[in-house]
Amino acid sequence: MAWHLECTINGSAVERDVPEDVTLLSFLRDHLGLTGTKGACLEGECGSCTVLLDDEPACSCLVLAAQVHGRRVTTVEGLAHGDRLATVQEKFVETGAAQCGYCTPGLLMAAKALLERNPDAGEQELRVALEGNICRCTGYASIVEAVQLAAREGNP
Amino acid sequence: MSRTPRIDAPPSPTPYTEHEHPVVGHSCRRLDGAEITTGAIRYGADLFPGQAELFAAVVRSDQAHARVVSIDTSAARAMDGVVGVYTHSDVGGTNRHGLIRRDHPALAEDRVRYLGDAVALVVATSERVVSQAIRAVKVEYEPLPVIGDIDAALAEGAYPLYPGGNVMGGKRIRKGDTDAALARADVVVTETFHTQTVDHAFLDLEAGVARYEPSGDPPDGGLTIQVSGQWVHEERRLIALALGVEPEHIRIIQPATGGAFGGREDISIQIYLGLAALKHPGKTVALRYDRAESMRARHKRHAIRVEYTVGAKSDGTLTAAKVTVWSDEGAYASTGLAVMRKASSHATGPYRVPNVSVDVYGVHTNNNPTGAMRGFGACQMAIACGGMIDRLAAKLGMDRLELRRKNLIRAGDDVATGQRIPVATVVECLEAAMARFRQKGEPTQPAEPHLRRGYGMSAICFGLGYGDGFPDCARARVAFGDDGKATVYTGGVDVGQGLINTMAQIAADELGLELSQVRVVSADTMLTPESGSSSATRQTYFSGNAVRMAAEEVKEQLLDVAGRHLSVHPHEIEIAEGCARVAADPDRRISLADLVAEGRRRGYSLDARTLFKPRTVCEDFDTGQSPKAFVTYLFGAHVAQVLVDIETGEVKVERHVACHDVGKAINPKAVEGQICGGVAQGIGMALMEEVVTREGRILNANFTDYILPTIHDVPKVECLILENDDPGGPFGARGIGEPPLIGAVPAVLGAIYDAIGVAPSTLPCNPERVWRMIRDAGGGI
Repeated sequence: MAWHLECTINGSAVERDVPEDVTLLSFLRDHLGLTGTKGACLEGECGSCTVLLDDEPACSCLVLAAQVHGRRVTTVEGLAHGDRLATVQEKFVETGAAQCGYCTPGLLMAAKALLERNPDAGEQELRVALEGNICRCTGYASIVEAVQLAAREGNP
Repeated sequence: MSRTPRIDAPPSPTPYTEHEHPVVGHSCRRLDGAEITTGAIRYGADLFPGQAELFAAVVRSDQAHARVVSIDTSAARAMDGVVGVYTHSDVGGTNRHGLIRRDHPALAEDRVRYLGDAVALVVATSERVVSQAIRAVKVEYEPLPVIGDIDAALAEGAYPLYPGGNVMGGKRIRKGDTDAALARADVVVTETFHTQTVDHAFLDLEAGVARYEPSGDPPDGGLTIQVSGQWVHEERRLIALALGVEPEHIRIIQPATGGAFGGREDISIQIYLGLAALKHPGKTVALRYDRAESMRARHKRHAIRVEYTVGAKSDGTLTAAKVTVWSDEGAYASTGLAVMRKASSHATGPYRVPNVSVDVYGVHTNNNPTGAMRGFGACQMAIACGGMIDRLAAKLGMDRLELRRKNLIRAGDDVATGQRIPVATVVECLEAAMARFRQKGEPTQPAEPHLRRGYGMSAICFGLGYGDGFPDCARARVAFGDDGKATVYTGGVDVGQGLINTMAQIAADELGLELSQVRVVSADTMLTPESGSSSATRQTYFSGNAVRMAAEEVKEQLLDVAGRHLSVHPHEIEIAEGCARVAADPDRRISLADLVAEGRRRGYSLDARTLFKPRTVCEDFDTGQSPKAFVTYLFGAHVAQVLVDIETGEVKVERHVACHDVGKAINPKAVEGQICGGVAQGIGMALMEEVVTREGRILNANFTDYILPTIHDVPKVECLILENDDPGGPFGARGIGEPPLIGAVPAVLGAIYDAIGVAPSTLPCNPERVWRMIRDAGGGI
């Protein structure tokens, strides 16, 4: 059975019929072609698929597309300002926080949520905010550094 | 950031001197940074939308070991949307793959050898249908005895998995007279170590697309496969053999790759995609694994058992090492033979041991095949060897650092294979790491009665490249476009480590260009020359040399053209700031675009291809000795500090210092990234990661139960980079990929030993195991 879904994705109104068992992750990637959001564990353990639902981070592999009816969804594709990278994106590149880059979209979204909520977060709060995101390449230090630098500039 | 080349630079930066380089040695921004952070970059599964017309999926064995009696595909074929079901008899070639020994059937013939072995391939019009259809394929099995681990495989009367039995090959080292030396030793220590099966757990699941156009060769015709591997040209050869297609008829394009760590070195989905595409010409076929299938299908890091005996004089001088290794090769050989060889040659690490006897045996089981993973056998041996040094120090009542200082190789000493090492800097690494560690003073014990603090250290070496006489080479091409920009063509794959930047920086530096004036085309069998695999810590050294040589050659052409155009000797020309100019009179110049046009008019190709192929010598069959088993060696040392909760067995790594001599850091930020990431994986292996199997069944094929290090588990690694030029490396560079993981594990284990007084011998040291270690030791630590 299909649900009629109306929501806002990266600032644009979206209206689609979606099967009831389609996850938000699959909806974004397979239905809308927004492949920036990644799937890796597909059970809410690794955070690769993190998007913002009304500014709160959520694993899009655990959310049904039908559940975002009437809500705002922000994905990694909605971060940059035209051709200009958002500060947090810029800092990820600058510090080497992106190696293979597969965890990067999810981490960027988790970081954005934190920076919007509390730009003065200390390192411990920062680590807690990112604890649901697995990175297999970097050892995390460069990620912490990137988010701290973005916080210092006060503009996620 | 790339710096503006200095105006007062010497006339020609070649040959290489100690001078600071304009691009090499700088932490230049990742060229693909914007693509990565905006989500624009395309990994395998990102190719599906708008392209995928058919979807394939693999029917896998639910038996760890069985005879295949029959495969009934009729129900699956009858399903709406199913367009094809294929078994081994539909495969046109050898139906085999395997990197060193091609013994792994792409689709099972009469037998399945591990739970997850592929049996059939289904192709359908949607992923939904194909995932249902694989369940409709009925396979009748006749179960056979399951060999679940090394002990079962070696047991008296064990079922022979192969006609030759369960022991696959072997490798030995005989140096000096080990038995006599052990008999004479003042002190002898023996221990048995067990290391676990580890999954690569790269995040980017196996996924890709393929398309077959029957008429002609690529790009217009032929079979094009886009899947992430680690060696596109070898994958093409393997696919061609398995499917019975000419290699020239196949094009492999590497999409962006989300980590590999050795886990993409074996064939994954390429043959299935190729088969499906061949059967459905003119349609783009897509295939992807979920996490469970990825973990059940793919090879793993070898679990091994090491029996290690070391002998020493009472002053701590090592005299002998006797090492026997049994490695779980799983169901198929994969790269196991090479892993065994690397394990043997690294059995005594960077220690000076005059008498060495090593026997390494591969043991077939019905577990997943085991193969390449970061460290490649050397990792497990560093755990055993480092553990023995710590135990010996305790037995001798000697300081661990002092014992290491006494026995670590110096320049001119040899390692277990007898290879003399001209530039050995392991002592320097260890001293630097310890000095950094001690900057904060000796660690103190916490006030809480249930907590214990300790620190440990490791000193490691790693032979770079395939070594052992195995053909090892890299090719590269550098060509100028009419816009005055250079393009580097390399077959090497960037799996996330930053190979593209490394090659671009080397070329830019050599050519006198800004980094932005260099493009890199990589990992496409049609467009790029073969460069070997992105593994064995070899690409910076191998492809780096090839790119540098090609760039040098093109530059010579440019200098000739500029010299004639500006009427000076080519040696008076420098290339900088987008032009060629007379060094002593910089106003006499010609822009690179004009220079390229001038060169073309004068008949210069401005295009060079090179081959870098240093030779190694195969280790002797009887003695394992070789004057040059590896082209060069890498050195490193780590110091880890842990806090152990003796009530729960939890271990927290509080500090981790890692020092590596990389020869020359082409991009220091990228080197640090490799070190920090390698340490994180080392902490994972030391403390938590383990593929748990029972009778060949993986019990934790998911990220809920396969525990990976999170941001809370990894401290900020204190990285120290030493740069002692390698005489043969590009700009003196060696490499960095594997050593950080190899160094991390024994340092963490040594720290646990220091904290609780019990030396770990079985990995991982998860809370339960550490708690048991403490309890078994009497608990009253």
